[in-house]
Amino acid sequence: MRNLKSALAIAVSAVFFGGLTHAQAPTEIQMWMGLTGLGGETLTKIGEDFNKSQSDYKVVVSFKGQYPEQRAAAVAAYRAGNPPHIMQMFDAGSGDMMGAKGAIVPVSDVFKRAGMQFNPADFIAPARGYYGLKDGSLLSMPLNVSTAVLFYNKDVFKKAGLDVNNPPATWPALQAAAQKIRATGAAACGFTTTWLAWIQLEQFGSRHNIALSNQANGRGGIDAELSFASDPMYTKQVQMLMDMQKDKTFDYKGRSNDASASFQNGECGMITQSSGAFGGYVRDAKFEWAVAPLPYWPEAQGGPYATTVGGASLWVFNSPKRTDVENRGIAKFLDYLKSTPVMVEWSKTTGFLPATNTAFKKLADDGYYDKDPRTAIAINSLIVGKQGDHSAGYRYGRWTEIRDFYHEEVEKALQGKQTAKEAVTNAQNRGNAALRAFEKTAAATN
Amino acid sequence: MQRRVTFNNKLLPYLLVAPQLAVTLVFFFWPAWQAIQLSVVQQDAFGQTSTFVGLANFRELFADPDYVRTLWRTLFFSSAVALTALIPALVLAVMCERVVRGATFYRTLLVLPYAVAPAIAGVLWLFMFSPSVGIVAYWLKKMGMDWNPRLNGDHAMGLVIMAAAWKQISYNFLFFLAGLQSIPKALLEAASIDGASQWKRFWTIVFPLLSPTTFFLLVVNIVYAFFDTFGIIDAVTSGGPAKATEVLVYKVYYDGVHALNIGSSAAQSVILMVIVVVLTAVQFRYVERKVHY
Repeated sequence: MRNLKSALAIAVSAVFFGGLTHAQAPTEIQMWMGLTGLGGETLTKIGEDFNKSQSDYKVVVSFKGQYPEQRAAAVAAYRAGNPPHIMQMFDAGSGDMMGAKGAIVPVSDVFKRAGMQFNPADFIAPARGYYGLKDGSLLSMPLNVSTAVLFYNKDVFKKAGLDVNNPPATWPALQAAAQKIRATGAAACGFTTTWLAWIQLEQFGSRHNIALSNQANGRGGIDAELSFASDPMYTKQVQMLMDMQKDKTFDYKGRSNDASASFQNGECGMITQSSGAFGGYVRDAKFEWAVAPLPYWPEAQGGPYATTVGGASLWVFNSPKRTDVENRGIAKFLDYLKSTPVMVEWSKTTGFLPATNTAFKKLADDGYYDKDPRTAIAINSLIVGKQGDHSAGYRYGRWTEIRDFYHEEVEKALQGKQTAKEAVTNAQNRGNAALRAFEKTAAATN
Repeated sequence: MQRRVTFNNKLLPYLLVAPQLAVTLVFFFWPAWQAIQLSVVQQDAFGQTSTFVGLANFRELFADPDYVRTLWRTLFFSSAVALTALIPALVLAVMCERVVRGATFYRTLLVLPYAVAPAIAGVLWLFMFSPSVGIVAYWLKKMGMDWNPRLNGDHAMGLVIMAAAWKQISYNFLFFLAGLQSIPKALLEAASIDGASQWKRFWTIVFPLLSPTTFFLLVVNIVYAFFDTFGIIDAVTSGGPAKATEVLVYKVYYDGVHALNIGSSAAQSVILMVIVVVLTAVQFRYVERKVHY
């Protein structure tokens, strides 16, 4: 008996170690992501599929916390000389990454370095504008793409006597609908919003083609000065929210995604939200709902314009320790990620919008958007919508912080402690102070 | 006969404390030194460049009215947490001392919350009081209260104070109970024979005899509220709305991790370090000497 056991042990270890020595150990590529739930699972699975598809590289996808925590961890790793190869980062962090010249390798260069074909024009135009440079090259590779849309509860609309197939297209129409919802008692709150700064400031600016700052919305240089307080439209929007808050036709439900629960449980009849929430509502909302494009003000010149992208992209870290094999592995994996079948699967499973033109075409040809017309609203708002000078994205350093300045100031206004004009002006001034501090440190790296 | 072990080796004592010293050096002195170093420079997030700026980071902080407001807010928050955690703990300890049957059972239940991690405690309260899904929020609304800690700063502050104080009650309870048990029964019996009421006995005998414990707990609770409540605040309000629940330690985290403003974050942690040194000194100096009975 004992002999049998040891024989087995020898056999097992022979297979195990023998296997390792025979094949060349694959080169590891570390990728950090900030996604949980469905998105995180799908991205992990894509990594595993890539590993199965070839034997030279092994991609390790790991979750290191939500985007800000993950970014702080990556910064610490970079400072310690050991950054991950690839890091996923949210839209607002792009300016910070770009300011750190030397810390990152532009994605276009990653492919050039590996001697591989890469055409930035493969990506949908809004994403190219957001994550690219003026010369057309890409800094980071768009992965999860989303935009802002309006979700509305059809059951609430029915109860309030509103036309379920005719959602409000403009802000005045939305106000009227919200009033009707409140007056008929169809829901406790008419309308709420997630991602306050992203939707009511950034997407709002794109939708009306009005500038956030000079310097092509910060994409022209880090000396950009925010100017949104001098455009009356931004103030008007905050004023609208303040007025509506008084009679609960609008109810503020917190920063980031906090308000989502209030739409999902039927408390609020309408919500402006990231299109990325689609999958969650399909699964969890126990009522009939539909999607509409982000409302706009009819008096806006030549409007409405397209909304802009949000979500996250993939950044490649620079490190003196990188070998040619690793660099090639990074490019190979990014190439695999952007291939049409993978992008289509990614989009279908997670509800994110397709990042490449071919993936979009494939989804359209396969009738994906016809099957459920609700899925087409977001992508159309992004790429079919009218493009203007100020609807092609924006990029600023310390934008995560500046978003919170906007949140704080608008919260204060909603509490009745300051006027809409003061809120927008304070957010702008505090934002500019942060931009100047960023400019000082970023200029030192160049 | 007393048996005493003596060591002649001069090196041995140092060797024996070496592990503890190493831990202290690596996990306290080294990070503290790093914080001091970073507090006098201006750096980009990735640490590629570093410019010495002297005390500019500190000057900026104290020139910022928001920072000064956060300082006052922290003092209010800490006192509120300390009182909210101390008073119920004392009441519970006095009540529990009187229980004869099943005393261990009650005690265990009362101590249990201390085992809960701060972030979990935070999420627990967040769920109960969440305006959209919380059960307590539902009751409050039924009673006609417009409960919305996401917009109302006072609601948010009340919520984080309760969440932070709740688990600390258990800790305080344990100390009070131990303090009560060490009060000589003879004193209380003598007072009873003299006809002192329960109320009188408590205020003239029990409370003064407990004062060293109370003072110790007061300092510990304030230190806890100052430095240990970051997890709860992050989970419940993230410092909002409009900074209503932003306390010093949360701002250190926010400026360092979210804003990647390393210099300012380091300067703030140096200020916190000074505060904790002062609080510790106060405790050492006064706990033993000044609280007499």
